[in-house]
Amino acid sequence: MSSSKFRQILGLVLLASLACSTYSCTVASAGDFFGSTTPPSQNIFRYVTGDEPATLDPAMGNGQPEARLYLALYEGLVEYNAKTLAPEPALAERWHINNDSSELTFHLRTTGRWSNGDPIDAYDFVYSIRRALAKKTASPNAYMASYLKYAEAFNQQRVFVRDPKTGQFLLAREFDESLPPEPLSGSPIDREKSEYPADPKDSSPDPDSEFHHQMHMPTRLTLPGDEKARNKRLDANPKLKAAMDGKEFVPVKAEDLGVEAVDRYIVRISLVQPAPFFLGLLAHQVFRLVPQKVVEQYGDQWTRPEHIVTCGPFKMKEWVPYDRLVLVRDPMYWDAATVRLDELRFYPILDNSTVMNMYKVGELDAVFNHAVPNGWLHIMREKKDYMGQAEAAVDYLIMNTTKPPLNNVKVRKAFNLSIDKDGYAAWRRIVKPLTAFTPEGMFPGYKQPKGGAFNPAEARKLLGEAGYPVIENSDGSFSCPSFPVDQVEFIYNSQAANRAVAEWMQAQWKQNLGVTVGLRNMEWKTFLEQRAKLEYKGFARGAWGADYMDPFTFLSVFYTGGDNGTGWLDPHYIEMLDEANRTLDHEKRYDLLAKAEAYLLDNQPIIPLDTPSVNWLKKPYVKGLYPNAASLFPWKYVYIERDQAKWDYGPPNMAAE
Amino acid sequence: MLRFIVRRLLVTVPTILVVISITWVLIKLAPGNFYSGEKRLPPAVEQNIREKYGLDKPWYQQYGKTMWRIVGHLDFGTSLRYEGQSVNSIIKRSLPVSATVGVLAYLLALIVGIVAGSIAALKQNSKWDYTSMALAMLGISVPNFVLAPILVLIFSLTLYWLPPSRWGGFPSRNLILPVLTLAALQMAYIARLTRAGMLEVLRSDYIRTARAKGLSERDVVIRHALRGGLMPVISYTGPALAFLLTGTVVVERIFALPGLGNYFIQASLNRDEPLIIGIVAFIAITLLLMNLLVDIAYAYLDPRVRYQ
Repeated sequence: MSSSKFRQILGLVLLASLACSTYSCTVASAGDFFGSTTPPSQNIFRYVTGDEPATLDPAMGNGQPEARLYLALYEGLVEYNAKTLAPEPALAERWHINNDSSELTFHLRTTGRWSNGDPIDAYDFVYSIRRALAKKTASPNAYMASYLKYAEAFNQQRVFVRDPKTGQFLLAREFDESLPPEPLSGSPIDREKSEYPADPKDSSPDPDSEFHHQMHMPTRLTLPGDEKARNKRLDANPKLKAAMDGKEFVPVKAEDLGVEAVDRYIVRISLVQPAPFFLGLLAHQVFRLVPQKVVEQYGDQWTRPEHIVTCGPFKMKEWVPYDRLVLVRDPMYWDAATVRLDELRFYPILDNSTVMNMYKVGELDAVFNHAVPNGWLHIMREKKDYMGQAEAAVDYLIMNTTKPPLNNVKVRKAFNLSIDKDGYAAWRRIVKPLTAFTPEGMFPGYKQPKGGAFNPAEARKLLGEAGYPVIENSDGSFSCPSFPVDQVEFIYNSQAANRAVAEWMQAQWKQNLGVTVGLRNMEWKTFLEQRAKLEYKGFARGAWGADYMDPFTFLSVFYTGGDNGTGWLDPHYIEMLDEANRTLDHEKRYDLLAKAEAYLLDNQPIIPLDTPSVNWLKKPYVKGLYPNAASLFPWKYVYIERDQAKWDYGPPNMAAE
Repeated sequence: MLRFIVRRLLVTVPTILVVISITWVLIKLAPGNFYSGEKRLPPAVEQNIREKYGLDKPWYQQYGKTMWRIVGHLDFGTSLRYEGQSVNSIIKRSLPVSATVGVLAYLLALIVGIVAGSIAALKQNSKWDYTSMALAMLGISVPNFVLAPILVLIFSLTLYWLPPSRWGGFPSRNLILPVLTLAALQMAYIARLTRAGMLEVLRSDYIRTARAKGLSERDVVIRHALRGGLMPVISYTGPALAFLLTGTVVVERIFALPGLGNYFIQASLNRDEPLIIGIVAFIAITLLLMNLLVDIAYAYLDPRVRYQ
């Protein structure tokens, strides 16, 4: 074969492949929807929830893919509303909350059934909580339940201190005056005055019990169970050490936890502090019910398909790891009449392009949040099956406030003010600019404070005041020769999207401050380690998603030290949050939280960037699935609509019904 | 011959132990934990997890326990990431998937590669030779992460002929695209190796002798030339088969196959120590066995190796 012939053939091959790709592009951009809109022939919903679930045990899984599965398999006292995520009745049909949100009494429905037909009662809930908090369970979600009285002490196997002669326990407030006053749940029960607001629908008082009175005693002192740690603690506090004379240590047991089955269908929860957001938190997986008998019989094998017993709208049919998890409608479920799907199929798929391909050819009915790759957004956002509502999450940069030069708040502010967030948001397309730490407009009635907006002149002034004068060059650009650029860098985990963001920030700082911050990408777990241990210098990428629908889920990131990655921990800020949570009036509490947020922003341990949007697709025939702010879906409302007139031609109506 | 095999097998055991030990050290050196995530866990919760999995023990105790479990019981332990799933069961479950795709790709590559390579050698400088070698060049140059999306684009998203991904068992239409993708590179290599090997052998004296004896061209090619010409192919395909069997990360990920390769990459990213060690050990054993098989095949095909 001559070389010219060879060239001809090669040319043809290239032409053919080019034709293929242009053809598919025209197919993709035509039509209102992305790919096939033929509903599945059966009442089956096929979904990718992300990676293979680490576990089907709701106490143990802490990722979003898992959380979505648990909504199908398990139920708690309350469930997320499909649109607003507000708690609504589930296994509990009604409840009472005391005046300072520190004690909650739930009335369970008597029709609750496990998938094996056994009735569900208050003892099941008490067991599930005790198990989730037990040290040997080692649940990563345990801290979610730390608002329960003695939850942390039980989880860490701490001990009470008792006087063997009198049987009296030492009290926490005797040794720590900085503790806030006892909530209503920790004060003696006043028989004359009801601690609960009047309920016109249900005036009969909840039954009293001995345990109830015990919970209402002042909080007991707890010490580490480990002798070494305990002695260290005692050595540090002479008054405490002196009080130990002739006392005995009593381990904190499951029975001491602030949760009680008052009778077969009434559960009372006592909290260690007023927590107005706690009801919303109760829909979290750690509070979902697990079957005692099965868990005790099979140990860590209880979620195997041959053993598992569940309490949600769907039950297990088949589980082939990394291939499929097939759930079917559970006829035993108390609200089975509402469940419209016969089957729910979850495919664990990692590669987003693969997910999109399957959606396009009609092998999936919806894809998970953020499954749409960045490069596809400009096409997908035009489609009528694209979901892009606001998300209860924030993107931000965190700064290591323990190392110079970022230990100077003026420097931190300068870096914040020199970022054009409106320009950034316009470039990112699917985000809204943010100057605060709570997502904008997410919590109705919350007056979110505004942090520093784009102001490069002010930024340069602040940097100058901090001792790093910015010089304007003859060509209009800036430089800051005295700034120690070798002391800062921007770290992020290797992902194309993160790199683009990092480069954007780098360009802003170069342009507006004349400072070139180096970029360093690293593998995910390495990045997490460096960030958590404050081993980085300068800036790191950060993101936070809501655990429950309350501003506190964001503000509490800085409630404890060390684990927020900035090294910033301010007692005044913590006191402000405590005060807000003690406040009974909802509006006043929000005002106090907003004040705390303003204080946080003024200290600038972080640079807020944006409120992201959810970013996924669902076929028009899928109904009852709403793009809510946390992408958690109560599956029982989802169904396949075969009447084209009733399809969704655009995002579904999110107004509460 | 038997002594040769036994000796080789005996060397295998310490090799595997060294591989496992090095892997163990590398995992311990890697920053991060299997439980770390965007939201950092409170220290007390972290401590509970570390105690549950024995990560709070000194390193030599952890190492000793791991090695004893593997050597004494051939048990790789329980995955840290996938609660309650033993590493042995994960390998047992995912190996058939990888092996099915791997063996099919291997057979396809072998058949097409050898036929194309032989034709190219026999008809050297003809259009057959140029076409097959051009295609082989293309197969070697196009990486599978490029080839796979192109195949999906054409056959799934545009023509709607084949499913774009997922495991469908054996036999199923789902297998076609991953097998093609996986076979392409091997096919190309084998074709080029066969051609080179055959060209060399066809010019050698014993082929001339065979022809002079008056043997038919078919006999010359199949009985004499192919046997010698395939030597380089065999030394290449042994290790290649080991890699195909134990799963290929890219293909399994793009086609969402629940194979060993998929688990391997996820285990490393998740810092799932027992699973990483289990899969590494398994791949090492397979690789060493395949190399041994290659040596045996060599000895069988080439008497010179046997008598050395």
